[in-house]
Amino acid sequence: MNTASTSSSPSTDLGPALGLLAIRIWLGVRAILTGVEKFAGTRSSDAAVIIDGEANSYGLTDAAATKFYALSNYQGIPAALQKSFEAEPLLPGWALHIYGLVLGPALLALGVTVLLGIAPRVSLFLMALVYTSLTVGLILIKQDGGVAWLAAHLTLVALALLFSDRDKFLLWGKKW
Amino acid sequence: MNPDLPTPGGTSRRDFIRAGGLAAAGLVLGAPAILRATTAPSDAIKVGFIGLGKQHEVLFNAMKNIPGIEYSAVCDIMKNRVGSAFSRIKNTFGNEPARYIDAQEMLEKEPDLDAVIVSTPDFWHSRHTVWSLQAGKAVYCEKMMSDTIGGARAMVAAMDQTGKLCQIGHQRRSNPRYIFTLNELLRKQNICGQIVNANAQWNRAVGSSQDIQVKPSILPDKETLLKYGYGRPGQDLSLEQLQHRFLNWRFYKDLSGGPISDLGAHQIDIFNWFFGMPPSRVMASGGRNYFKDREHFDNVMCIFDYDTPDGGARAFYQVLTTTSAGGGYFESFMGIHGTINISERAAYTRIYREAGTAPEWDSLVQRGYLKKASAPAPVTDSSDVIASYESAAPEAYELPGGLSKPPHQPHLENFFAAMRGTEKLTCDARHALESEAPIYWVNPAAESGQTIIFTPGHLHT
Repeated sequence: MNTASTSSSPSTDLGPALGLLAIRIWLGVRAILTGVEKFAGTRSSDAAVIIDGEANSYGLTDAAATKFYALSNYQGIPAALQKSFEAEPLLPGWALHIYGLVLGPALLALGVTVLLGIAPRVSLFLMALVYTSLTVGLILIKQDGGVAWLAAHLTLVALALLFSDRDKFLLWGKKW
Repeated sequence: MNPDLPTPGGTSRRDFIRAGGLAAAGLVLGAPAILRATTAPSDAIKVGFIGLGKQHEVLFNAMKNIPGIEYSAVCDIMKNRVGSAFSRIKNTFGNEPARYIDAQEMLEKEPDLDAVIVSTPDFWHSRHTVWSLQAGKAVYCEKMMSDTIGGARAMVAAMDQTGKLCQIGHQRRSNPRYIFTLNELLRKQNICGQIVNANAQWNRAVGSSQDIQVKPSILPDKETLLKYGYGRPGQDLSLEQLQHRFLNWRFYKDLSGGPISDLGAHQIDIFNWFFGMPPSRVMASGGRNYFKDREHFDNVMCIFDYDTPDGGARAFYQVLTTTSAGGGYFESFMGIHGTINISERAAYTRIYREAGTAPEWDSLVQRGYLKKASAPAPVTDSSDVIASYESAAPEAYELPGGLSKPPHQPHLENFFAAMRGTEKLTCDARHALESEAPIYWVNPAAESGQTIIFTPGHLHT
């Protein structure tokens, strides 16, 4: 048996390229949805409850709440964490404000570029910086579970960068 | 412009607000949703805020969807909070409110304000409310009315003397779920039958009861904190101690009434509102069992007796700051036919019918007064059941609907509607004090270990 004829050469083996694509899809979808969720809010039904055949006069409404998205809902840093960050001496208020404004759009933009393969090395590196910056905040407020979770993200980003020369499914800026 | 001075048209701006309110109410009911948030500037009620901490944020978030409000001024002794409130208003509505550190300066320089929202620490409520009423403003003041019953009585007197509106922030009084429960389920349908007991609690975990901490660089300086009463003559307090008192005023006896007034006030108010009378006596116990360095009790339990026409009832209340177990926060009214557990949170609300003894509620379900809950079937044949100990398991029901707004919004809507002359206040200062007065006697009862039998001297407004 001629082994040379059955083993794939680096240029034709799709395995590593598909593996990298899977990582990029995961990282991209993860970042995009995290960014989109920053525009999510909920609203309750305004439909009045019917009592004795008529709309009640008390203002009781159907209790069902529905989720919706709007630019006005945007909150870069979750409200539950905002107060904890504000109490941290190492996180100045003005920097938190700017960070909150930038975080959502940054996740959306990097999610799209990583998913589509646009300047993949730069995009992945910037994504690593975003996750590192989130890690800094979580370390300061002692959210160790979140730190470990972000470390898993960072591992995937590093893996994609290490093998980026085998990435074949790229839209633009292969050298970058 | 003095808001009470006549306008060129011959009516004052406040008269115009009241008159316009009737027309506006009719228009809003028939208007498309997109038009409801718009109000002509001349119609708008000009509001100033005194106190810009956490409770201010709760109130602002509940107010921002109410049309016809112009956010004109903000005031707090902490500059960082003033800046945050300014930005919040500017980002939400586009206008720039005037900024103040001192409340009296705000009242002097903002004669156009129609209403003031007070959400300062309890020991400031009375002065801020009285000053605002005397300046001709309508006032919405957070509960507890004051850290002292004397302070609360001064607020009622100022409301009476000035004739201005003064709403106290017992927001459940305007909550449709509570009003429906009282008027329809308890009074008209009498689903509980004779109510013999009531029970309420606010249980909060240790993790939610910790000291509030903020980086010292954004807190007021020592001079400011002393000027605004966080230290009293004779107290030699460091800057660090003063800043702790500023952030954690609820822990100090000369600044607040402690957990029984912070949390208990909302729920003991429901006892008095639903029973329609004040209690006749109170016994209480409390301790500093976990937070040993705090001045107030960290856990308090008390029992009020009510001389109801049906033959009397007692109401047990506990506020625990060391555990969240036991169902969070709710008020429960237990009758011979049924029990209503009601809470500001729909998730904690349940209604139970005593199986076998109570009249059927099926017709109430069919007519829309109640919804049947999907409760798990009780286990009746397990090895730990001793038949002679058991009652038949009650059937579970729910309220037919909920509130599609933040819990404080209906109470604020009622306040602004009262300013426009379209509604009566649901909790003016006098009614609030009638309900709050017994609460001032819980800590003394617990400290002394003595039952306090209420006299008009204890409870008068």
